[in-house]
Amino acid sequence: MTSILQAVVLIAVQTGIMLAVAPFIVGLIRKVKARLQLRRGAGVLQPYADLAKLFRKQPIISTTTSWIFTATPYILFASTLLAGLLVPMFTSRIPLSFAGNIIALVYLFGLGTFFLILAGLDAGSAFGGMGSSREAIVASLTEPAMIMSIFAIALTAGSTNLSTIVHKTALLDGIVLDPSPHLMALAALMIVALAETGRVPVDNPATHLELTMIHEAMVLEYSGRYLALVEWAAALKLLVFLTLIANVFAPWGIATSLEPVALAVGVVAYLAKVSGLALVIGVIESMFAKLRLFRLPDFLGLAFILALLAVIFFYVLRG
Amino acid sequence: MPAFDIGSQLVNLGSALLLLSCFAIVAQRRLSACVDLFALQSVFLAATAALVAFLTGIHHIYAAAGLTILIKAVVIPNILKQVIERLNVNREVDMNVNVPTGLLICGGLVMLAFFITQPIIPLGALLTRDSLAIALAIVLIGFFTMIARNKAVTQIIGFLVMENGLFLGATAAAYGMPLIVELGVFFDVLVGTLIIGLYTHRLQDTFDTVDTSRLTALKE
Amino acid sequence: MLYLFALFVAGHAAGLLLPFCVPAQPRLQNRLAHGAACVAGGAGVLLGLAGLLAPEPWAASVQSSIPLLTFAVRLDPLAAFFVLIISLAGLAASLFAFGYVTEFYGRSSMAAMGSLYNAFLLSMTLVVMADHGLLFLIVWESMSLVSYFLVVTEHEKADVRYAGLFYLVMAHVGTAFIALSFLICFQESGSFSFETFRRPEPPLPEGMRALVFLTALVGFGAKAGIVPLHVWLPYAHPAAPSHVSALMSGVMIKTAIYGLIRVYFDFLGGDFPWWWGFTVLVVGALSALLGVMYALMEHDLKRLLAFHSVENIGIILLGIGAGMIFHTYGLKEFAALGLLAGLYHTINHAMFKTLLFLGAGSLAYATHTRNMEEYGGLLRRMPWTGLLFLIGAVSISALPPTNGFVSEWLVFQTLFLSLHLPTILLQLLLPLAAAMLALTGVLALACFAKAFGIAFLALPRSSHARRAEEVPVSMRIGMGLPAVLCLLLGLLPMVMVPLLDRIVRPFTTSIAERMVAVDRWALAPVNVEFSSLSSPAIALGLAGLSLFGLLLVKTFGGMTRARYGKTWACGINITPRTEYTATGFAQPIKRVFSTVYQPTVKLETEVLEESRYFAKRRRFELHIEPVFQKYLYDPVVTLFATAADRMRVIQTGSLHLYLTYIFVTLVVLLLMAV
Repeated sequence: MTSILQAVVLIAVQTGIMLAVAPFIVGLIRKVKARLQLRRGAGVLQPYADLAKLFRKQPIISTTTSWIFTATPYILFASTLLAGLLVPMFTSRIPLSFAGNIIALVYLFGLGTFFLILAGLDAGSAFGGMGSSREAIVASLTEPAMIMSIFAIALTAGSTNLSTIVHKTALLDGIVLDPSPHLMALAALMIVALAETGRVPVDNPATHLELTMIHEAMVLEYSGRYLALVEWAAALKLLVFLTLIANVFAPWGIATSLEPVALAVGVVAYLAKVSGLALVIGVIESMFAKLRLFRLPDFLGLAFILALLAVIFFYVLRG
Repeated sequence: MPAFDIGSQLVNLGSALLLLSCFAIVAQRRLSACVDLFALQSVFLAATAALVAFLTGIHHIYAAAGLTILIKAVVIPNILKQVIERLNVNREVDMNVNVPTGLLICGGLVMLAFFITQPIIPLGALLTRDSLAIALAIVLIGFFTMIARNKAVTQIIGFLVMENGLFLGATAAAYGMPLIVELGVFFDVLVGTLIIGLYTHRLQDTFDTVDTSRLTALKE
Repeated sequence: MLYLFALFVAGHAAGLLLPFCVPAQPRLQNRLAHGAACVAGGAGVLLGLAGLLAPEPWAASVQSSIPLLTFAVRLDPLAAFFVLIISLAGLAASLFAFGYVTEFYGRSSMAAMGSLYNAFLLSMTLVVMADHGLLFLIVWESMSLVSYFLVVTEHEKADVRYAGLFYLVMAHVGTAFIALSFLICFQESGSFSFETFRRPEPPLPEGMRALVFLTALVGFGAKAGIVPLHVWLPYAHPAAPSHVSALMSGVMIKTAIYGLIRVYFDFLGGDFPWWWGFTVLVVGALSALLGVMYALMEHDLKRLLAFHSVENIGIILLGIGAGMIFHTYGLKEFAALGLLAGLYHTINHAMFKTLLFLGAGSLAYATHTRNMEEYGGLLRRMPWTGLLFLIGAVSISALPPTNGFVSEWLVFQTLFLSLHLPTILLQLLLPLAAAMLALTGVLALACFAKAFGIAFLALPRSSHARRAEEVPVSMRIGMGLPAVLCLLLGLLPMVMVPLLDRIVRPFTTSIAERMVAVDRWALAPVNVEFSSLSSPAIALGLAGLSLFGLLLVKTFGGMTRARYGKTWACGINITPRTEYTATGFAQPIKRVFSTVYQPTVKLETEVLEESRYFAKRRRFELHIEPVFQKYLYDPVVTLFATAADRMRVIQTGSLHLYLTYIFVTLVVLLLMAV
């Protein structure tokens, strides 16, 4: 009985932290970009105010839409949040690890993408269709690279279960230590994360120019509480990817047992790590220009090759 | 291989970075960026060589590493930059193979290289033995770059990448060649680059382009 | 068991004969034929379940007066599993047919259609139950022929006749290769009984075994539609009436999977050389990827679905191929996992493909067109069909928590075990196959987002779609059955895996006990530390968190009533012409993968005389190069045509000459006999 109670508490805490931290990360990236452009920028807490405002606003729904349009934000929100619960955050012993491994994580994101594409088509405007069509090609190019880098990670840790991977890496227990496969997989996963979460150089979250937008075009018809959920889900997705990268490649400080002190250290370390990664993303976004849509195969092809090399190196170095 | 042998892991890492810069060159469309990447690759090469020198205590490898930095990371990139600037060609407009396909082919070449060297690798006792496969892969990718690209400048880079691969191979297989041979090779590479640079000028004068696929017009 | 089998055969026999015994009233004939098929389908489901659960295989045989032929049937778990699949899909299609075939009243003979339909179901079931080589070939051939007649139901259309002919030729090429592989087995043992195939006396030499492997792969592959033998499939499956297409795509091609497993694991069981599994894996990966890529370019909904069958056969073969590779190296548990994943995907694909084809049939019934560009906005007009089609689309896109996800996950897990293989070639092949599977999965997602989005969402794109109405109840029930099964198979893999384990156990080893973990909540292919998946937990999580989202909305802003308005289209009224088309949706994919598609675009513009900037008319043509047809099939067809042309010399039309041919042949034969 206590174990179930413990699990429920851990899930609730993780959900709470995710929901609370996700807008902060978005705000932090915007702040970094603003500072690098010598602007003062809005405060890092601005996304919270935006969400609060959107929740209170009256939504406007197109008469051409069906129930898919109103259901999608909830499905998107739930699938992203559930994906986040499969990733170890401040402790490597997460209660939901039995529910799905890293492949399930990828496919949960797929569920959200599928419904978002449908929602983009539902309003009947050309913008939504364009966004959906582009999202489809970006997702198609990202997926092989993602599976390949996951393969590399799984090989080095000898498991596809995220909890096990992080736990073993944190304790340096029975994993392959060579840095080369790790570095390549990290680079590949970083590119994948940028593409999947719609950041520069794949997509620009700040644009509303029809020639360039992907994610923004799909959600163009959303307003009010629906837009709030979609935005929150997008922020959550970014956070989940950052969590994944931080904890798989640098699980330092994560709690490997469920003692209060270790957990507290884990939370602090986690916040530091994702904030650091958010800084990195802000810098990357300031350094690069958005790529043309048909240059994306080059970029994502590179991610695939990196991941493939990681797998090859793993096998060869193992001898 | 002992799993905790930090030195050999670092050498492997250096070789891996060399290989990665090859892929970056294949993926890059801008000529000046290709030259920069080549310079970066040479720095990685020098670092790897210096690391080998440190770990083995063989001093002449230090000299080779220093020469690599001097010639391949400074002099040759400068010459190439000048060629690019004077000819005003910065973009590889048409390639024989598009970038994603090129990357996939190079991935295949790496697999091939590992497959070929697999029977040899366990025989070696040197700490650099894994680098042999990477060296072979780099040579193959350099060769592929020469085939896949049309502009003379990228072909020079492909050639230089091959040379880098051979250098790594020599370091990996036998802890480097005797210093006098290294010197000869460096001199060759330098002169070779100069000559190809001149030849590119001639090409530009004759055809108004540095596209080597136009050389087919010479047969008439 | 015997009674169930008898009931099953009697049901179909009644459906086969009764429609001809009553007056020619289409309504009555329809009810009789499909009612009988429903009864038989129910009996078949029970038969399949009973066979799957029975401790010992059930067998029966009747000697015939024809030499070498015995009417022997045997129901081991493998056969029972396929009987179950065929009967479930058959039941759904029969229910659907009640309403659907009303469209054909007065156009086609209802008696012939209903009777052929029953014959089709019966022959498919007998194929998987046959325990004798010759009997197998006979029912296999009748299955092909009957389905050919069903394909050409609408034979007044030229493209249907072409599709039928194409199908007939390919089916016979396939049958020839299967016959060849059986003959090789027969040659050594002197009997067509499957029992002797299993334990040939004397054992087959190595070269002969390889030949059996290859001929069976080609023969069954032609029926399954593996690349490059898939070209007939997108012609034939859409041409048939939809309930028949559902059966052809959903289950008929599965009989080929049955045949492959029967021959490889049962007859040749045990030691394969590594290249067998390698070949199957490569063929599977190529079929999966090319199938989905061609599907993306289709606007005919049924052709799109047919290409997806090629894809899913590929995924099934990925599982089986990986299983065979592991089997070679004695990793029995992993081999069992691969085989199990393949079989799981087989039943899943049967369910969602049946559902989707029936859905496509409903759309064709309601709008009288199969062109997706003329659908649109159907979710509001046909809410039930829309919901059921969505379930099918989510399942085939392998999204959690549906059944397609569970089986694709299992295939992934099998491929992730490449670490345990001894050679670097195979170690790298499996990750590459996994990457191809990932690409396949996400392209399938894009394809079904396109299919559902274009067909069901936004505004109607034609007057057909505007006038569409929801289909009759019987059709909705027919679609509802596989939809419910899709969800159940997704949510309860812990029930399904022990059943599938009974099939793979005789060929490899039992893994169910280890796989069902965490108090029957999760599947763990190797152990919980390596990987686990609990689709009920995922489903509960999704439902719970959706409610949580609703709760957040309530707390933060309250549920203010939404305002409704037209979509903003930059100042003009929104019309179907401003919507994204299916072609437009797939355009970036076409461009990125142009190496595969080899598209040719033709744009003709007529401009006004006054200025070349104002176009009067534009004509846009886009073609995808049918690479396999052009470079593989056309040369062969040309070769045969030329050869036939040469042969025409001996065909003079003179009766005397023909009699001379026969006479000469007779004399030569007599001389040879001496």
